[in-house]
Amino acid sequence: MGRFVARRILYMFAVILVVSAITFGLMHAVPGGPFEREKPLPPEIIANLEKRYHLDEPLLMQYGRYLYEIFIPRIDSNRPGLSLENDFLINIRLGESTWFHWMNFGPSYSSRSRTVNDIFRDNLPVSFQLGIMALTVAILLGVPLGIIAALKQNTIFDYFGMSVAIFGVSVPVIVLGPLLIWIFGVTLRWLPPTGWGSKPPYVMGVFPSTMGWDYWKHAIMPAVALGLGSSAIIARLTRASLLQVVREDYIRTARAKGLKERLVLTRHALKNSLIPVVTVLGPMFAALVTGTFVTEITFGIPGMGRYFVTSITNRDYPVIMGTILLYAVFLVVANLIVDLLYAFLDPRIRYE
Amino acid sequence: MRSKFFMITAALIVFSMILGACAPAPAPTTGPQEPIVQTVIVEGTPIVITATPPPAEPPAAGPKVLNYPTGGPGDIPTLDPSLASDTTSVQVLEETFVGLTRLDETTLELKPGMATWESEINDEGQEVITFHIRDDIPWVKYDAVSDSVVQVQDCEGNVRMVTAHDFAYTFLRTLDPATGSPYAYVLHGIVGAEEYNTADGAPEDVAVEVLDDYTLRITFKQPAAFNPFIAGLWTGFATPKWVIEGDDCNDPRGDRWTETGFNQSYGPFVMKEWIHDAYLDMVKNPFWPGTEAVPVPKIDMVHYVMLDAPPAFAEYEAGNMDVSNIPLADMDRVMADPTLSQEVNIGPDYCTYYLGFNTKAPVVDDVRVRRALSMAVDRQALIDNVLKGGQEPAQWFSRPGLIASPTMETHPDLGIKYDPEQAKALLQEYLDETGQTADQLQITYMFNTSAAHQRIAETIQQMWADTLGITVNLVNQEWQVYLDTVKSEDTPQVWRLGWCMDYPDAHNFITDNFRAGGSANPARGGVPYGGVNWVNEEAEELMRQAMIESDPAKRVDLYAQAEQILVYEDAVIIPVYWYTSVTVTKPYVTRTFGVGGQEHWEKWDLNK
Amino acid sequence: MGQTTLQTDSDPQGHDGAAVQASPVTIDVNQFGAGGKPLHVKSESALQDAMRRLVRNKAAVVGGSIIIILYVVMILADVIAPYPYAKQTLVHQNSVPQWLLNVFPTMQPYAQVVNDYILGADYVGRDLFSRIVYGSRVSLIVAIIGPLISLIIGVTYGSISGFFGGKVDNIMMRIVDVLYAFPSILFIILLMAFFRSTFARPDPGTFTYYVSQLDNAMGGMLFIFIGIGMTAWMTMARLTRGQVLSVREKEFVEAARALGASNNRIMFRHILPNIVGPLVVSETLAIPGYISTEAFLSFIGLGVNPPTPSWGSMISEGAQMIRTYPNQAVFPALALAITMFAFNFLGDGLRDALDPRLRGTQ
Repeated sequence: MGRFVARRILYMFAVILVVSAITFGLMHAVPGGPFEREKPLPPEIIANLEKRYHLDEPLLMQYGRYLYEIFIPRIDSNRPGLSLENDFLINIRLGESTWFHWMNFGPSYSSRSRTVNDIFRDNLPVSFQLGIMALTVAILLGVPLGIIAALKQNTIFDYFGMSVAIFGVSVPVIVLGPLLIWIFGVTLRWLPPTGWGSKPPYVMGVFPSTMGWDYWKHAIMPAVALGLGSSAIIARLTRASLLQVVREDYIRTARAKGLKERLVLTRHALKNSLIPVVTVLGPMFAALVTGTFVTEITFGIPGMGRYFVTSITNRDYPVIMGTILLYAVFLVVANLIVDLLYAFLDPRIRYE
Repeated sequence: MRSKFFMITAALIVFSMILGACAPAPAPTTGPQEPIVQTVIVEGTPIVITATPPPAEPPAAGPKVLNYPTGGPGDIPTLDPSLASDTTSVQVLEETFVGLTRLDETTLELKPGMATWESEINDEGQEVITFHIRDDIPWVKYDAVSDSVVQVQDCEGNVRMVTAHDFAYTFLRTLDPATGSPYAYVLHGIVGAEEYNTADGAPEDVAVEVLDDYTLRITFKQPAAFNPFIAGLWTGFATPKWVIEGDDCNDPRGDRWTETGFNQSYGPFVMKEWIHDAYLDMVKNPFWPGTEAVPVPKIDMVHYVMLDAPPAFAEYEAGNMDVSNIPLADMDRVMADPTLSQEVNIGPDYCTYYLGFNTKAPVVDDVRVRRALSMAVDRQALIDNVLKGGQEPAQWFSRPGLIASPTMETHPDLGIKYDPEQAKALLQEYLDETGQTADQLQITYMFNTSAAHQRIAETIQQMWADTLGITVNLVNQEWQVYLDTVKSEDTPQVWRLGWCMDYPDAHNFITDNFRAGGSANPARGGVPYGGVNWVNEEAEELMRQAMIESDPAKRVDLYAQAEQILVYEDAVIIPVYWYTSVTVTKPYVTRTFGVGGQEHWEKWDLNK
Repeated sequence: MGQTTLQTDSDPQGHDGAAVQASPVTIDVNQFGAGGKPLHVKSESALQDAMRRLVRNKAAVVGGSIIIILYVVMILADVIAPYPYAKQTLVHQNSVPQWLLNVFPTMQPYAQVVNDYILGADYVGRDLFSRIVYGSRVSLIVAIIGPLISLIIGVTYGSISGFFGGKVDNIMMRIVDVLYAFPSILFIILLMAFFRSTFARPDPGTFTYYVSQLDNAMGGMLFIFIGIGMTAWMTMARLTRGQVLSVREKEFVEAARALGASNNRIMFRHILPNIVGPLVVSETLAIPGYISTEAFLSFIGLGVNPPTPSWGSMISEGAQMIRTYPNQAVFPALALAITMFAFNFLGDGLRDALDPRLRGTQ
């Protein structure tokens, strides 16, 4: 098991190499540069900017420089945070004036006083919190709905539950968001229409420093809007899977042994039926954390999702690279966790 | 197996509880699930979630807080005067800094800002402006520990005042090629500026001279009515060199100097906190003495929230915003609503929406086709049915209201108007001559990807089809690609752009855009290669004369002649409409209405 | 009875299916069969059996019928739609018919009543109903092409990987992981930006020219299909592999292997039929994903070229109007929801019908 995990982590670096190479090539192949403006810049100024960001170098050299900045750790006496060019994600103080630095994702071209690391530090926690909440909503709604539907197959419960699920997945956030805002934010005024209840700095880099009602009331609508579509997927997968599992031989055996129905379901059926559900949780979580563009714009949430889209439209190269690599790492880790969960849930699967 | 399963499930859910800091799990609804969830709760208890208590809410009554949305998606791009180029950045800058001169946001009159000035023409025919800067304005910053605005002190402990050195520093920093300022070109009228900014010129040769601590002299290449405006633009606001580059008692902050905690300024408001992508809070500067153009603010804080137009309007309706723009989609409903319709204000906005022709491209290289297409656009119908914001049909390019721009009162028949009959006749003439039919004409109309531009494109496409029988092909590209395309050798036949003022003079519209080498008419060595792809010696000469002419009436006349060539005789562009800004304001807000894209909150008040 | 199979190979071990199914644990008589029957008869009856059970499932029949109707509407759009989809009547912008005012009384104070349009007209006075009818083209074609690409590539890939395991699995899954590690929506955005700009106005006669002509003729749909297709199959590959991994350890597969069944045979006769349920369900669940991807692309402006309608673009335009003119969002969304319901019920029905252990039951 340990070797399996170690190998997967090593392999994660390989993924980053490949993903970064493809992204780097693709984003430079897309026409339009980061310094196009409606009131166009004189070519000399564009040349200055390109020089400042090393965009005048050959592509291969730029790529090499990028990898060097990200991968190669440094030990020097520079205090972190002073300059945009040398802003590292990981800074560890070794001695009086000695620092260990690692992972410099570079400056943002369109947000001139920030680096990609700043965007990670300020915006990622918000997306992470929102993603976790949406996933919680999805599981808490989806799993019970799927179980009821499966146990009462072809009854009114089943049809009703599945209709709710399909409704959830076919009403996009684009419609659901403004609708929720209209009903609960503007008409009833129960919840604030927009905004997020926490701000940097975050506890341990992720968690909000305050968690009163003021925090939760901002989170409810976006979490529901974002999680509803995913809950439908979970509900239907749970239903389909449970229906399949209850027909398995070992369930029949268990029943034949005279076990109580409840025990049969909880000890045997539920666990096995969750395997396909677990499969989708990893990618689903990654998608919930990063695929929040519409939710963020609709509810005015200062998350990360917007940067996935705007960095591309602005040709903000370091932000494109940073966000895509972030997503890649996120997904690889999520899938690793899913694979490990597999082994727990289904003892017949072994990794060596 | 059982315990392992419960453990895992429990761990999973507890994990998600920790991460999401989830509320207690809701009661289970199904039988089979019950034991699982109970286990979770039992197993979940050892995990202690530490949370600090929420900060005390600010007292309900007391400080006057203005809640104001940006009205667009995304963060404020920058708060660095040398780097700003968009309306939200400039909005904050104009409230936290004050330029040498200050534009009255409602009348577009030029008033003294940080300085009074006198102007003279030197022997070489250059305009020399001497600025006498106020000596009573201290640098200030927000101090988080005392939660108040404090004066900035230098390393010896003396209060730092805003001096001519601070202004000169900004001018040179904006022009420094290493800064890469996107707006440096507006300063190119200063002697030596263009050379330093774009070629090998030295900073010492830029004619921005500090005569003493409170006197600054700027020399412009040519006399022009708009030179003092340019000196007062945000690209010349004083900036704190000691924060940017560091000194004996400050760490150098570089581009980070605008962030929360480092930011220093001197205007009527002071930046308190900038939470990126969320909001920016500005508090009243108690050390601002108040001047004729920039009074002491009556409101204590501005909560500037980064919200796109639809959520911003929802917040307005929920009572959480004091001002908002009205999204087009909500226009009909708002106008019919007895309360909201009372809160609407439609005012001018100094921008022009136009379609450009690539005058060298097939079909539209014939002026009759261009004029026919322009005459076939029913601008009023477009405004009434699609735009709905009370915009004005544009007959020419330079928005009326700008200095030296013709107005509808003085020039009612200038330019081009909707005239379907003449449009048909013109096109028929062209078709007969070339032996074609209207449906054979292949025209591509390109716009950048956006719902608003799409609506306009679809409407105009239909107007051309109905009136002229020409079906144009609509193509959209995303913004960065589009800008590249529109200003390339390969500019499409018809394309759209808008233009908003930098400073209120017709020069900033027609000349800055359409002279050979202008913004929408890129040229190499005086030969246009993209955009409108157009050069007309007569028009060039008219624009040159209008720039240096000092008699205001004559300037209007010269620009009117140039406009007539641009939009009618050569029909290089189709002026579509002049912008308005449509806002709603809560009745308890006393306010002014800016026409240039910025608001001056120091003149506002709240009477809640 | 044996396993579901469309194979008619004359494998000498043709009776293994039945033998394997009769594993010691199994007590279900339905899984014992007339193993001696000729193979083609067996598979035919299996198909018939599946069909029979599909037809008995009312929800599936309703779903299937709706889908057929939808596709007929799509094909006959020119006949059914009362107006061309691009026909504007500017003065009728945002008009609604009288009956809609009764449904949404909030529109009373400002809505312009024009009864020519059964569902109302949009912001430039185009008939909503006609646009919904024509707009079905994009969504319904995406609903076919997405699953098709994803099933063909994904299931083949995933089942090979999961079945062989070990090194093969490792290498194949690493490749998928790398591709998967691209956020698909970003990948599509980059691809679309690349296509749209590279293919914008190419020289006549070149390959790019013909591709862009094709895309123009399809109203910009081609690149959407390619973009969605290129990113859709990875999920399916992973899911298939996960399923195969879990099924291949089952007793009946081990028994088949012990009896010397060929890999092909084990794959197609024993494993695939047992995992087809979750795959079909997952794929019908993915259809809304494909359609909403199209809607998302419309939202950020990379969807079909105007004035070509698509449900996605109509919903994202209408969503902004949801308070003022709810009909402009509600009806396209309703069309989408009905399509989703239909695909989902059909998917469920298919799953039940294809489940080998339900064979011969209701």
